[in-house]
Amino acid sequence: MVVQRFIMCAANSVTKARILNQCRKQMTNRLIHTSRWMFAERLYTNKHEWVEVDGETGTIGISQYAQEALGDVVYAQLPDVDTVLKQKDECGALESVKAASEVYSPISGKVIEKNLNIEETPSLINSSCYDKGWLFKVKLSNKEELSGLMTEEQYNDFVKTQEH
Amino acid sequence: MALVQRNIFKVSAILARCNFRTYSTPVEEKDIKKSVFISQSKDIFANLALENWLYKNFDFTNHHILMLWQNEPCVVIGRHQNPWLEANISELHNITEQGVKLARRNSGGGTVFHDQGNLNMTFFTARNRYNRKYNLEIITRALFREFGVKLQISPREDLTLRDCKVSGTAAKLGRPSAYHHCTLLVNVNKLCLSQALQKLDVGIQTNATKSIKSKIMNLCEENPKVNVKTLFKAIGWEYLRTPALTIKDGGMELANTQKGFQMINPTEQWFPGIEEMKDELQSWKWLYGKTPKFTISRSFTVPENLLINTDVPDDLKIAMVVENGKITDVNLFVPPGLVTGGFSGDVNVITSLIGQKFSEDVLDNLEWSLGALVSDKDKFVTDCVRQVMTSV
Repeated sequence: MVVQRFIMCAANSVTKARILNQCRKQMTNRLIHTSRWMFAERLYTNKHEWVEVDGETGTIGISQYAQEALGDVVYAQLPDVDTVLKQKDECGALESVKAASEVYSPISGKVIEKNLNIEETPSLINSSCYDKGWLFKVKLSNKEELSGLMTEEQYNDFVKTQEH
Repeated sequence: MALVQRNIFKVSAILARCNFRTYSTPVEEKDIKKSVFISQSKDIFANLALENWLYKNFDFTNHHILMLWQNEPCVVIGRHQNPWLEANISELHNITEQGVKLARRNSGGGTVFHDQGNLNMTFFTARNRYNRKYNLEIITRALFREFGVKLQISPREDLTLRDCKVSGTAAKLGRPSAYHHCTLLVNVNKLCLSQALQKLDVGIQTNATKSIKSKIMNLCEENPKVNVKTLFKAIGWEYLRTPALTIKDGGMELANTQKGFQMINPTEQWFPGIEEMKDELQSWKWLYGKTPKFTISRSFTVPENLLINTDVPDDLKIAMVVENGKITDVNLFVPPGLVTGGFSGDVNVITSLIGQKFSEDVLDNLEWSLGALVSDKDKFVTDCVRQVMTSV
């Protein structure tokens, strides 16, 4: 459906810039598949972390499903800058009411930035898990790992299998 | 273009279905066996290490474990808490004959006090089988079956009796395993408890997890027959006679098909690597170094005899920033009435503090670096800094 909308947009002789803006807007609101070919794609792990790759940099966060499962996050412990992480390494923890949930790195790399805003305001993870609630950024050391991650669509199907 | 995309969707849909198969390996309830482990140690660090060892090394897919344990008097803070804010650190060694230990656990949540009047329980499962409510139900059913005591499960998932908490709960969720542990107040020494957890407002600002103070009650106050020894058995059996995923009574018939009770000794021989875990739990780096960044600030009234100009009385203010348990910044506000030609001691005081562990050791250092000080004013400032450190 989204694809159709995109094509319709293209068919209408609206200026290119506007289409792009529209799509961009949709993407931040709700992820759509067309993003795969046009912009950095968000990839997921079966542990409910996501990574968005832009060149050599991967931004990491937790998914909507994970955020909802956690409940209100009251404290975020993130890996320090310069920490070298291997894929699946335990690299931090998010604390919600009485529970500490481990965060695992979806990819290998060196931490180049952590989101100081969520250290101050952990609730950003609940209110904006794909945008303001990102956790940390790494410089990727093995891009091949990305092929082992799930696309948005695969992940959504995977989440369905998790609900019991 | 549209066609190509549609095809790709189909492919990815198929892939997704493959994922579905690989990721979910459903284990049926009847295939999950249960064991009750009873720790033979009363050492908080050994028991926390045992917990951690099982969490890291044991496969709980087909085998759920309930660990029952007790400790010598100790204060246990949550993983992201500030010990200086939660425990009466400077007094702990004076409370009870053997003193009260301080420990930081791996799970979230608030601070608890343990002594031999507590029973601690850890429920281990695979991450996808983690169910806090189920565990609390087991405890309430055991207490009702054995003693006729009826506990409530509050919306915050605390166990309460007459609106008082009788239990503290916390959890650690990882992959592939998770655990939920809780402590039950049976006949805890309430005086020691309140002494150990008593905190004056020492002026600490932090976003570390805070404990929520609640009214507490011992189970023996409700029914004097409740005691830890009987509870070990009652909760252990209740756990074994309940199916792994649903709360219903399977009776002794089910209990007898389980793996039963086992006495466990948390030693290196039984659990290779456990000593290292124990050492880490006892290290300064874990206990204090893990404290989330905080600022401690205090103000002090300057005695009149030290003031040059008594018309402008003002407080001396000290603010210290502590990161990873070490002092990273000190701000000193020296009132204009105290000095005219600039304060001579501050530079020394401050530079010698930065990078030091926030503890009493620093004071010795401070004393050393200020050994040659003669001025009363400098001594006053140092004394104020000392008070900031010792008051916590």
